[in-house]
Amino acid sequence: MAVRTASGLRDVSRPPRPQLVPSSVMAMLIFVFTEVMLFAGLISAFSIMRSTALIWPPPNQPRLPVAETAFNTAVLLASGVALALAHRVHRRRPERARLPLLAAVLLGAFFVGFQGREWVGLIAQGLTLTSSSLGSFFYLIVGLHALHAVAALGVLVYAWRRLAQGWLPPSVLGAAEVFWYFVVGIWPLLYWRVYL
Amino acid sequence: MIEHFLPAASSFAHEIDFTFDLIFWLVGFWFLLSEAVFFWLIFRFRKKDGVRGQYITGELKSEKRWITIPHGLVLLCDVVILIFAIQTWYHIKQQLPPADETVRIVGQQWAWSFELPGPDGKLGTADDIRTVDELHVQVNRLYHFKLEARDVVHSFSVPAFRLKQDAMPGRVITGWFKPIQTGTFDIQCTQICGIGHGIMGARLVVETPEQHAAWIAEHSTTSVAAVASPSAGE
Amino acid sequence: MAQSHPAPSHAPHEAHGHHEEMSFWSKYVFSTDHKMIAMQYMVTGMAMGMVAAFFSYVFRMEMAFPNREIPFWGLVTPAQYNALITNHGAIMVFWVAMPVLIAAFGNFLIPLMLGADDMVFPKINRLSYQVFLLSALVLISSWFVPGGGFGGAWTMYPPLSAHSAYSLTPMGSTLFVTAVALEFVAFLLGGINFVTTAMNSRAPGMKMYDVPIVVWFIVIASIMFMASVGPLIAGAIMLLFDQTIGTAFFDPNRGGDPLLWQHLFWFFGHPEVYVVLLPAMGIVADVMATFARKKLFAYKTILYTAFATGVLSFTVWAHHQFVAGIDPRMANIFTVTTLLISVPIAEMCFVYIATLYGGSISLTTPMLWALSFVGEFLIGGVTGIFLGSSGTDIYLHDTYFVLAHFHYTFFPIAIIGTFAGFTYWFPKMSGKMLNETLGKIHFWGTIIPFNGIFLPLFVTGIAGDQRRIYDHNNFPELATPLLQHLREFATISLVVMLLFQVFFFVNVFWSLWKGKKAERNPWKANTLEWVADSPPPHGNFREMPTVYRGPYEYSAPGRTEDYWPQNVPN
Ligand code: HEA
Ligand code: HEA
Ligand code: CUA
Ligand SMILES: [Cu+2]
Repeated sequence: MAVRTASGLRDVSRPPRPQLVPSSVMAMLIFVFTEVMLFAGLISAFSIMRSTALIWPPPNQPRLPVAETAFNTAVLLASGVALALAHRVHRRRPERARLPLLAAVLLGAFFVGFQGREWVGLIAQGLTLTSSSLGSFFYLIVGLHALHAVAALGVLVYAWRRLAQGWLPPSVLGAAEVFWYFVVGIWPLLYWRVYL
Repeated sequence: MIEHFLPAASSFAHEIDFTFDLIFWLVGFWFLLSEAVFFWLIFRFRKKDGVRGQYITGELKSEKRWITIPHGLVLLCDVVILIFAIQTWYHIKQQLPPADETVRIVGQQWAWSFELPGPDGKLGTADDIRTVDELHVQVNRLYHFKLEARDVVHSFSVPAFRLKQDAMPGRVITGWFKPIQTGTFDIQCTQICGIGHGIMGARLVVETPEQHAAWIAEHSTTSVAAVASPSAGE
Repeated sequence: MAQSHPAPSHAPHEAHGHHEEMSFWSKYVFSTDHKMIAMQYMVTGMAMGMVAAFFSYVFRMEMAFPNREIPFWGLVTPAQYNALITNHGAIMVFWVAMPVLIAAFGNFLIPLMLGADDMVFPKINRLSYQVFLLSALVLISSWFVPGGGFGGAWTMYPPLSAHSAYSLTPMGSTLFVTAVALEFVAFLLGGINFVTTAMNSRAPGMKMYDVPIVVWFIVIASIMFMASVGPLIAGAIMLLFDQTIGTAFFDPNRGGDPLLWQHLFWFFGHPEVYVVLLPAMGIVADVMATFARKKLFAYKTILYTAFATGVLSFTVWAHHQFVAGIDPRMANIFTVTTLLISVPIAEMCFVYIATLYGGSISLTTPMLWALSFVGEFLIGGVTGIFLGSSGTDIYLHDTYFVLAHFHYTFFPIAIIGTFAGFTYWFPKMSGKMLNETLGKIHFWGTIIPFNGIFLPLFVTGIAGDQRRIYDHNNFPELATPLLQHLREFATISLVVMLLFQVFFFVNVFWSLWKGKKAERNPWKANTLEWVADSPPPHGNFREMPTVYRGPYEYSAPGRTEDYWPQNVPN
């Protein structure tokens, strides 16, 4: 690739600057790094509060649905696997990556929908944002994760559409992957710390 | 240094003052040394006509010595400071010597209220003596305090005792002090707690045993009236 | 996602040659040029700095001459006093030190010093400034809502900050927390750019150890910022929820924990002080090397000390909470780490001092600022040891000793460091030279009163003056004439210092208008920014430089000149 100089001309005599990691992937990695710290902050806050609380869990509050969520966790992990598959296929035969990519999106969407259903049930049982510190933390942590999931799904859909239109640069897929793996990867941790 | 401005009126005040002075001399030495070398170098190597700078990378062992040796010595000083700092901390905050008496201290926007056990020596009984903005204690007695906050974070500070402890809503924090000098001292709130933070002071009266007994006697008879006083004082 | 665009430094389609005429709006307001964004940050930061300096004038006057009409303000009520100090602290840290040291210098220097034509993501860069500007506007608006500005200190401890029943500033607190959160988002966007650019846009031949210290330090600081800010963003969301929809994160009556906030805040807050320290240190390193005509002493050691500081800084946060009700055994761990962190910083200071050895030092204005940084920062540093020692912090916590400690660190960083960098790179930024005489008057008129302000405050702190008190005479032990005289002396020094700032502004505007034209490399420095024109056009370099050596090859033996630019083959 040629390098543009200030005059707008291409300077073909020079080698391009080497990119260790494509810039978009690098940016996404840095972004994800802060996000990891964000969730680490929330999780440790939750743990500290839990360990200092006199009575835990708070009385008169419903239990969290551990088993259903375990199933949902599996669905999310499957979505991550589908995306990894898409990555492998994309490297050799880009056009055939559409199916696994779509599978990843649909599984991810199922996860978010299932979570939403779970929330409706919990709210009906009296666990709300303001009912107790458990409720506050539960909806904040899980809700923030859901928000990330939705955003990351948006990026995946965008990648899928570009693929459908013909050409998806590996760096875009790479950035989308980093984001989605983060969403998938952090969830078991949240499940472990919040539900169990 | 500190005792120059304030009496050292509790059993651990001298220890804090000592640690402070120790740190003062240790870091003071390094500070003066660094500044002296610094200014000398600026003067010695000021620009002179015809004299070029030298080419020193600082990567050679013989050059790095000038950094690594002070580095090691600073670490050594740190260890000395650490020993005294932690020892002081341990004595004041970590250990809890047995109490002669326990008092309750409550901070709220923007007043301090106090509860003394009264003649029966127990907190939480009917003869407790409650006061607002004034705490009466007896010299040379070891007090435990139970520190609470009603609304926001406050901080219970008695500069003459070198005592400071934040009061957290939702918790009861236990600590101790032992006055060794009679007199009246300031109590300050040192954690911002709203618009009245600047006036949230109180007085701490350290009395001789006789004075204190008299004060107790006087106030336990009127304890009914005193009970009402916390709300009146707000 | 905007991030997914390919790196524009390789995008040949953008046709912004520097001959093209641009409208006012696209040139000054919606520019994606890193230098223009740097100037936007600089000017905004400076304007906010003047606001915060004015606030400090008002509340210092109130402390020295309590309950009197203060010129240009009037009577200061307790609520106003709290809001003034809170916003002074927050502005100085988040809207002056951060934008000027990291964003302005980072934006200006990183591409220029690396030989790149712009940041990797210019649009994200522009967005970063816009979010930052929005955050400043939100903060300013918070002073004019019913109830007035937030007055719960820049540390925003709940429950005071969480409930309007306690703080009496229902809208002020919410806007304040929102502003701080927005500011973090702005710097996240900026930080992503800085790190990516430093990794991917270096000029051919520039290896890791050829990167100037100031770029390294800004990048390390950005990484530290991004690593520490996550938990505080989480905390800010929690606090906003507590304020607005009544969640129970920090409410002890419903199972919440106020202490939690303090952990989240200081986990960020302590690294934050090194986040602003490092860029200033970097500026000073570059200025010192240039004017001492010396290679930096042990370049790699400087880097390692910065890494060490960066890592250690994540382990010391609870030294702000020794007496806050944490487990007393835990305090011991934090005492150890806090004292340990003095070792790399001491080493860094020693290295700077050693750099002077064998130099040929000319005391120009930038050099004076840089040297005074070292001299003054040492005071701030060593007084940190008194506080890091848990035993003495029992007494010193929240006294003016703490206050003087951190002004002796923050002022050198945010004001002295900024002036060092500003006067040093002004020729490159504007194409004009500053006036040396005015510069020196301004320097002495700032440095001497600075010590006049804060040295007395160490004494009042030792004597027991506590922070955030609008009139210390309410406390009998603090109402002595000696202490009051010291407070007055500090205030008068401040007024003198503020008056001397006139010289700075006169100097800047006069030089811009009539100053001597700057050559490309007026200081005969080595780094790449001096290869570009003064001021550099959009796109920076006429021809992309190639790097042959490290940035500090001054007074190399066997050369007629005493400098050796990075891009000169031999
Ligand atoms: C950029 C700003 C900055 C910097 C660099 C520092 C640097 C340090 N700070 Fe400071 N600090 C603040 C800004 C800063 N601080 C702020 C803003 C607050 C208050 C916040 C608030 O409450 O509002 C604060 C408060 C604060 C506290 C809490 C006080 C309290 O509230 O009770 C403590 C306690 O440990 C502390 C310690 C230190 C230490 C050990 C260093 C060390 O990094 C210093 C290391 C440097 C040196 C030691 C000097 C060089 C060394 C030598 C000359 C060798 C000799 C040394 C030895 C023998 C040890 N600081
Ligand atoms: C970067 C940080 C910074 C800086 C520079 C300053 C600068 C000053 N501060 Fe600040 N201060 C804080 C951070 C800072 N402060 C913080 C965090 C608090 C705690 C708040 C709290 O308790 O919640 C505090 C609190 C605080 C108090 C305590 C109030 C109280 O507890 O009751 C006092 C009291 O004297 C004070 C005084 C001053 C003074 C006189 C200056 C003077 O040095 C100001 C002089 C300013 C100038 C001379 C500015 C000149 C610059 C320009 C005009 C712009 C030029 C800029 C460019 C070239 C880019 N400050
Ligand atoms: Cu109570 Cu300040
Ligand atoms: Cu700190």
